[in-house]
Amino acid sequence: MSSSAHARMNCGEFRSTYIQDTTIFPTPLARRTAIAAVIFLLLAPTFLNSYFLNLGIQIGYYGIAALGLNIVVGFTGQISLGHAAFFGFGAFASAWLNNATGLPVFFCIPLAGAMTMAVGLIVGIPAGRIKGLYLAIATLASQYILEDFFSRADWFTGGAYGAMANPFTIFGFEFNNDQRYWYVVLFYVVLMFLFGTNLLRTRDGRAFIAVRDHYLSAEIMGINLTKYRILSFGISSFYAGVGGALFGHYLGFVSAEGFTLLLSIQFLGMIIIGGMGSVQGTLMGTAFMVLLPELMEGGVGLFGHGSSGLMQALAYIKEMSIGLAIILFLIFEPDGLAHRWKMIKAYWKLYPFSY
Amino acid sequence: MRKSIILGSLLVASLAFAGSTLAADTIPVGHLAAYTGPTSGVGIPFGNGIDDALAYINKHGGINGKQIKYKTVDYSYNAPRAVATYKKWMSSLKPVAIQGWGTADTEALVKFIAKDKVTYISASYSGHLTDPTGKGPKSKSAAPYNFFYGPSYSDACRGLVQWAADDWKAKGKSGKPKFIHMGDNHPYPNAPKAACAAYAKELGFEVEPSIVYSLKPADAKAQCLSLKDSGADYAYLANTSSSNISLLKSCSTVGVKTQFLTNIWGWDENSIKATGAAGDGIAWVVGAATWEDDAPGMKTLREVSKMSDPSGKKPRMLHYIRGVCGTFLMKEAMLKADAMGAITGENIKKGFESMKNFVPAGLEGVCSPSTWTAEDHRGMNLVNVYTSKYNGGDFKMTKLATVEVPRRPEWLGW
Repeated sequence: MSSSAHARMNCGEFRSTYIQDTTIFPTPLARRTAIAAVIFLLLAPTFLNSYFLNLGIQIGYYGIAALGLNIVVGFTGQISLGHAAFFGFGAFASAWLNNATGLPVFFCIPLAGAMTMAVGLIVGIPAGRIKGLYLAIATLASQYILEDFFSRADWFTGGAYGAMANPFTIFGFEFNNDQRYWYVVLFYVVLMFLFGTNLLRTRDGRAFIAVRDHYLSAEIMGINLTKYRILSFGISSFYAGVGGALFGHYLGFVSAEGFTLLLSIQFLGMIIIGGMGSVQGTLMGTAFMVLLPELMEGGVGLFGHGSSGLMQALAYIKEMSIGLAIILFLIFEPDGLAHRWKMIKAYWKLYPFSY
Repeated sequence: MRKSIILGSLLVASLAFAGSTLAADTIPVGHLAAYTGPTSGVGIPFGNGIDDALAYINKHGGINGKQIKYKTVDYSYNAPRAVATYKKWMSSLKPVAIQGWGTADTEALVKFIAKDKVTYISASYSGHLTDPTGKGPKSKSAAPYNFFYGPSYSDACRGLVQWAADDWKAKGKSGKPKFIHMGDNHPYPNAPKAACAAYAKELGFEVEPSIVYSLKPADAKAQCLSLKDSGADYAYLANTSSSNISLLKSCSTVGVKTQFLTNIWGWDENSIKATGAAGDGIAWVVGAATWEDDAPGMKTLREVSKMSDPSGKKPRMLHYIRGVCGTFLMKEAMLKADAMGAITGENIKKGFESMKNFVPAGLEGVCSPSTWTAEDHRGMNLVNVYTSKYNGGDFKMTKLATVEVPRRPEWLGW
């Protein structure tokens, strides 16, 4: 992100220190906009109804997990087809920690992230040795192994029946509806996205990008490829685990059926549509993937009210529209929504003299 | 300016008024359907039955003049999606009753609906849903707001086992017959597994370790070979019909001679046609009249069917008819609730619990009598065992027996 964000420097914009060059917000306006957006979101539950809050919460927990995937795919240049399994592991781990030990959910969510990170580090080991399609298949295997584990490990997941997850509480105050849970998710979204953005400004973050851009050169420069590839999987799993835990405690019920390969592919879809290697794009892509089926449903609802034939077709239309969206993005906007957003901003900034 | 303010406030007031009357005159009901996903083969006819029945009830005056405002959502047999839909409904639609579907989602929702006091009529007949107080020694948890039309999966399987024991004797065979449970590792096929095996053992069966086959139709020759090796005499198929089609075809190829038994969702008109002669002789549970039957209530049923098929020529499947029965029972419970003063989830539950050998009005001879009490939600303990013959496409379904399963207190919720 940081490199591309500064690729188009404005006239009269001079940077004389490295600190200026690696700032998160290139202009004061960008910083103020970001702060205003967070304040707006803090006030959102007062005027948005549950339906929109629910969508926002979905964008939040999926967005956190998708950012994790973007770290491993978009920034480190690896591939993972097992992200949904990590997402699920986090959900089960948090529910299990809370149910088995009675530890408050408040602590279970980050702990679940850490447990998922441990699993991710193990699964990431093959990444130290193989790449490309072979790595894709290795991560696919982890997806299947974990999925099977979910449906069999009765002690951990409740087996095929799934597990109940208690609501998030602080000192007995339950965050059990959309208006309240919104703040829990918002807190984690801000925290995790800030962490993600900052990670990429560190030595480790730059090492990830170097591994992605040219692994041989990176190795010659002294970057330990195995270490950074595995670390990238670990951090990515941490994100997936936290996202999954937030999902589990929001829904109140965790079942193995929710974490199939299809969800892994959807996570990939989110970062492809949003923009590989863009923190901002991750959130855009997630919002797109969450809102698209709702828009399709609204559209179909306008035409066929109560017609059962159309209701039956609706499920297919929803799934197809997501597939179609991915294909169209790959053809027309391979850099994702983040890139398109920059183009729009540039267009207005330079209007009417696009030089 | 002033005129527009007055007009505007009038408009707002009339809208608010219309809104309030609308709210008072409708009964919000949710319908979670499985039109897609692994169980859609039986989910589509069942869901159509519910939709038609609701439309019919609304067309004929609703519940004492109050229309049922229902929303159908296809959740693709995905339990988390069902829970998410439920949460969405509770913040907008606020249903007093829900027509649900699968075992995984219904069991996941048990605690939610008990807290929110929403009466839930499921297509899952899991034995775990039959204990309203949670007092049963083997029950998982209390399920006070759950109801379903039919014998529980466990009781149906017990009935089949009882029938199998009689069949073994009638055929004059000696020694211990072998019984096996087959199904996917999923809450629905697993629901009767332990309960049924225990009863089979009690009746003198030797119980073999169960075999897993996919709920999504797939080649099952490997499973059929295991079945052949086990030497089982009776095999209980716990999956839904589309999955059983592929299993029976595979087993016929492999040359399995086992007598197959299957539950209420495991066999129907479509699977008889699709499986052909390979499915002949299967024994399964039927929970209501069949479309060809002659009963006083068939007239109403045919009118219900015309809601989505005005020609009235489309033959309806067993599952469709059970969907209609479940919806009409809900209507009767709502009528009882209305007589109590208000149609709330709590009163609908009480309405159900006041039914004794009850058949919904207009469907006499179609729906079997059901009984619910505040202590026991096992609506039915009579199991109708049927068998089918393909006959080159002109298939026949015949009743083999009606088995009465004892209502043992220790079986409550199991």
